[in-house]
Amino acid sequence: MKYLGLIRANLGRNKLRTALTGGAIMLAVALVCMLLTMPAGMDAMLASMTTNTRISVHNKAGLVYSLPYAFTRKVRQVDGVAAAMSMTWFGGAFEEDGRITFPNFVVEPEHVGEVYPDYHIDPQQLADFQHYRDGAMVGRQTMKKYGWKIGDRITLRSTVWPVSLDARIVAEIPNERQQILWLNREYLDQALQAQGRPGLGIAGMMWVRATDPNQVNAIMRTIDDLSRNSEAETACETEKSFFSSFFGSLQGILAIVLIVTGLVTLCIIFIAANTASMAVRERSGELAVLKAIGFTRRTIFATLLAEAALLSTVAGLLGVGLTLGLTALLRAVATHNEALGPLGSFIVTAPVIVQGAFLSLFVGMLAGLVPSWGAARRPVVQTLHEVF
Amino acid sequence: MAGDGRAPLIQIRNVSRRYKRDVDEIHALEAVTLDIPAGHFVAFMGPSGSGKSTLLNLVSGIDRPSAGQVVVGGAQLNDLSEDELAHWRARHVGLIFQFFNLIPVLSARDNVGLPLLLTDLDKAERRRRAETALRVVGLAERSEHFPRALSGGEQQRVAIARAIVTDPDLIVADEPTGDLDARNAEDILSLLRQLKDEFGKTVVMVTHDPRALRFVDDAFHLDKGILLEGEAARRAGEAILLAAGGHSTTGAPLRQ
Repeated sequence: MKYLGLIRANLGRNKLRTALTGGAIMLAVALVCMLLTMPAGMDAMLASMTTNTRISVHNKAGLVYSLPYAFTRKVRQVDGVAAAMSMTWFGGAFEEDGRITFPNFVVEPEHVGEVYPDYHIDPQQLADFQHYRDGAMVGRQTMKKYGWKIGDRITLRSTVWPVSLDARIVAEIPNERQQILWLNREYLDQALQAQGRPGLGIAGMMWVRATDPNQVNAIMRTIDDLSRNSEAETACETEKSFFSSFFGSLQGILAIVLIVTGLVTLCIIFIAANTASMAVRERSGELAVLKAIGFTRRTIFATLLAEAALLSTVAGLLGVGLTLGLTALLRAVATHNEALGPLGSFIVTAPVIVQGAFLSLFVGMLAGLVPSWGAARRPVVQTLHEVF
Repeated sequence: MAGDGRAPLIQIRNVSRRYKRDVDEIHALEAVTLDIPAGHFVAFMGPSGSGKSTLLNLVSGIDRPSAGQVVVGGAQLNDLSEDELAHWRARHVGLIFQFFNLIPVLSARDNVGLPLLLTDLDKAERRRRAETALRVVGLAERSEHFPRALSGGEQQRVAIARAIVTDPDLIVADEPTGDLDARNAEDILSLLRQLKDEFGKTVVMVTHDPRALRFVDDAFHLDKGILLEGEAARRAGEAILLAAGGHSTTGAPLRQ
């Protein structure tokens, strides 16, 4: 501690350089901390989107393969299953768009309320969805995007089935981030039959709700056992796992971003090391005098290293503070605009703060190591000869 | 450090110092033998390249000889490692340089207190001792000033305060007046003499300055790495005085 005054004074000798180096470290640490919040943020986002009682049932061969519709009846009879609902990709698009602009499926309206009690759908709207064969239930984000309201009519041309369906919007999923649109399965089935086709004998996938979260694993095993050795073996997943795999590609991007961040950190180490080298070179005369008056190599090394570490740690802690500020700002923005909800999930946890602090210290130590050692190890007489 | 008023504080025995410069070997000092009693003020004098600074570095434990022995206050400096020499210097030697070499970002008091960082003294005691040292050199009022706000003479006084703050037995000065005007040079030489007279310090100084001869007890003359003795030393001393305008070591004109 007694050397702190000397270290602090040395850091203040070129304020602009100290500020610029510190600023670079601060931004790099803030960037790394923001990225470190992402895995936890994604977890939190998944937790907000999912429940611990819902199970996805789909064809083991992949999501593009279907299940026999009759299998839904078998699943409903499994012990511990509170409700099950088939969900089949409709792939509807507006004629003028020519492409799918929001996810849309056909479902069984009578099971929506049982499988998704956490969606808090208005009971009257839910009843209307069950009542009207051409009814559509739409997520609030899509409702807002197109300026729709209950009672509006839309026409969707399927990109999968050879039909176009006129639908009446009768219900809304009251979630600002929800884009999905559901149509009545029976409506599509009848439309296909009206064309002389065999009707909709398949289900794209199923969603099952267990009565008890502790029974989820047993239910998944039972359902998979039921389909074993059939033409369409199933693969059950918890809802969280299902959406995690959907975010798989995002995690790949995250890995790339983390690699880039690592490289940025490496660059910052080089910049900080260069600054430390310059600082040492400029002071070689003073360091020679310090050695001459009795400072040992160890003391010289320790004070120079501490100087680099102090700058980096203070800058890094400011970077952590910046991350806290930024995430708080994002949360505040997300509170006012629910469509930005996921941004509010990026919360700086205690481990992120600790990692940020240690990263700063690590950057400082690594950057200061070589110049400090170089300055410390040279014999005092050699240094004096070189500078005087 | 051992050494009473009579016994030599510094004993240099047959000391040589050679350097390698590229393929050449430089003989900076050749078989120098001398004693410096404790409480004396001595000067090493000679032309550039004569080996006087090399000898000073050996006496102060900054450098080690290629051959021979350097004993200061009973300590065989040849036997000490680099770190042991650093500890020894911190305890026993006060160093003064030509260009003052103060840390520009520290106040005068903090500059003076630097060697005390190597001790176990607490902050208050370090501060008290630094202020005492500044008072000894007549700069008590300027302890808060930074080097850039001090004149050359004042900066050298701060450097002297730094050299005496640990109360060393030996004060070593390398051209302490080399960067000062005549008046300041006289003041600094007078101050060094005062350290010898009032505080009993042994002061060893390298200088080109003929004025120094008025203040020192002894002057050792070197040329091409060899210590001049007898008639050669006397002639070298007279040559310096003549070149400076003919003043004796007592300050009286050498020739009327």
